[in-house]
Amino acid sequence: MIQSTRPAQYGFAERWLPRLVLAPSFLLSLVFIYGFVVWNGYLSFTASSLLPRYEWVGFHQYARLFANDRWWVAVFNLFKFGVLFIGISMLVGIFLAILLDQKIRFEGFIRTVYLYPMALSFIVTGTAWKWMLNPGLGLEKLMHDWGWTSFTFDWLVNPDMSIYTVVIAAIWQSSGFVMALFLAGLRGIDDSIIKAAQIDGATLPRIYWKIILPAMRPVFFSTLMILAHIAIKSFDLVVALTGGGPGFSSDVPATYMYAMAFTRGEMGLGSASAMMMLLSVSAVIVPYLYSELRRGSR
Amino acid sequence: MAMPALPAARYPNSELEKKMGALAIKNVTKSFGDTHILKGIDIEIDDGQFLILVGPSGCGKSTLMNIIAGLEGPTTGEVHIGGRVVNNISPKDRDIAMVFQSYALYPTMNVRQNIAFGLETRKVPKKEQDEVIQRVAKMLQMDHLLDRKPGQLSGGQRQRVAMGRALARDPILFLFDEPLSNLDAKLRVEMRTEIKQLHQRLKTTMVYVTHDQIEAMTLGDRIAVMKDGIIQQFGSPQEIYERPSNLFVASFIGSPSMNFIDCHLAEQNGQIGVSLQTDSDARFLPLPNGQRLAGRVGQEVILGVRPEQLDVAHSDDNVAAISIKVNLTEPTGPDTMIFTKINGKEVVARVHPRDAKGPGETMRLALDMSKVVLFDPKTELRLE
Repeated sequence: MIQSTRPAQYGFAERWLPRLVLAPSFLLSLVFIYGFVVWNGYLSFTASSLLPRYEWVGFHQYARLFANDRWWVAVFNLFKFGVLFIGISMLVGIFLAILLDQKIRFEGFIRTVYLYPMALSFIVTGTAWKWMLNPGLGLEKLMHDWGWTSFTFDWLVNPDMSIYTVVIAAIWQSSGFVMALFLAGLRGIDDSIIKAAQIDGATLPRIYWKIILPAMRPVFFSTLMILAHIAIKSFDLVVALTGGGPGFSSDVPATYMYAMAFTRGEMGLGSASAMMMLLSVSAVIVPYLYSELRRGSR
Repeated sequence: MAMPALPAARYPNSELEKKMGALAIKNVTKSFGDTHILKGIDIEIDDGQFLILVGPSGCGKSTLMNIIAGLEGPTTGEVHIGGRVVNNISPKDRDIAMVFQSYALYPTMNVRQNIAFGLETRKVPKKEQDEVIQRVAKMLQMDHLLDRKPGQLSGGQRQRVAMGRALARDPILFLFDEPLSNLDAKLRVEMRTEIKQLHQRLKTTMVYVTHDQIEAMTLGDRIAVMKDGIIQQFGSPQEIYERPSNLFVASFIGSPSMNFIDCHLAEQNGQIGVSLQTDSDARFLPLPNGQRLAGRVGQEVILGVRPEQLDVAHSDDNVAAISIKVNLTEPTGPDTMIFTKINGKEVVARVHPRDAKGPGETMRLALDMSKVVLFDPKTELRLE
């Protein structure tokens, strides 16, 4: 109705201008994201080494990948890192959000303090924590200088523990963000619900456990989605903090892929590992997108 | 409808407590630093009475309600519920139930769980819980809603559930915090009647906060009109309507609100009265038993007249009648509001539509001088 009343000469621009403006980014993402995904998928079935070589070898690279110890270290590291990072960030974030929700003074200031790490890149976080956790430079040296000479905290250089330093740094960076998400959710809860529960005789922990946190379900799921993909993509933090070491003890799939494809001249193997990561991210994202889009269309 | 038996007594001497289940608020104040929200509140009501706290927003009525509930503590003063001082008793042990403006239903629980939550917290046996839920659901006719979540209910249904949750508690004192303000006009009237019926059936003491003077008048046994943290008047609805203690109460209660006409108190032929001037008339209207005001003759007063006390004059009652010029009419159906000017002030008269004249015409109005009230313009208090 409205369109028919407009002058005819606008019709052409109105139809084509949006498409024209969107075309470059559409084209770029088509080529540089989806095109390269397909190319990478193809490479993973070839015998590429230092450079792409289009010699079809079937699932050979995947077989090599699954027989590779370093890959499995990376996968288990990702698993440990993912579970601990998501779990602890979530707990710390919810706990901070609940504390901040008690109508305290200087809340705005405190909120900014906790949220600030999110403003840093993982490279900065990793570097700063590398210095702090370095036994010869940071915490351990400080304790020794203060006279506690038996203190040891060598996780950064201990192959069994190095992945947990990544966990610590990642939690430090992300729990403030989780806190902000949950705080926003908690603010959406009507105050009188808490009053009603108090009159009903519930204690504060019970009010949170039985009434408020269950109402946070949507926040919980979006936070999980965000943290999960941060965990799977984690690369820069590991590179800056441990460099995947000592040895390859703190490798994750992303650093493994980078090492294989670009420094070890095993492009086919790298591509195969990249495909495995793509599949695991899809396994998380696709059901989520499906449920979101279905909800949107309803 | 006969009330099913109450759940087993939770207090050994519950019968006794019910008898003394009155509320007394003694010199309660509430301040935050230099901000004084409540400035010495005294209220006492008998068991089974329906107390209304009414006032404009910011008058402190909700704070007072929170103090009664124990959600906030008073700065000074005492709150007595059921004959005991409850200042240091937590909300859950005050034996009260509260209904909130926003309903405050627990969003993730269905109706049954919402009602059961308080019972569970107080460790009522499961079987007894079910009985209470059944009783409440039947009383409020919401059996069919028990398995729904609050999000699936309409505003009126949510309000009903919130009331059900309060009823399940079987308290000695019900608190209602503007429970009808979020409902549309029609539903509000229905629920108002339902709350009144509920009170008649339960005969439990109730405290009801509202800013709506119609709710206050229709529901209350006792009304406390509040402004600026002070109780302006405390009395029965009729007292407050007929003998408002000051200008604020007079203007707040009643719709359309009371007309205030500035005039001089004068004496003519041994009678004390006021002179009124309209566009078409000027008259001296004597006050019945005006001699009590002899000391104030010559002073300025404010004459308070309710719109319905200005009615069409019939030819025989000549005494307190005055002719006016109609400026505007507002028909409401049962009545027509006539707008005119007396002593330069806009005045509304409520007359039968049959008697209403059109704008520009003149008509004669009779003032019921036995019902008008006088206020002191300086203190704003009613003159006895």
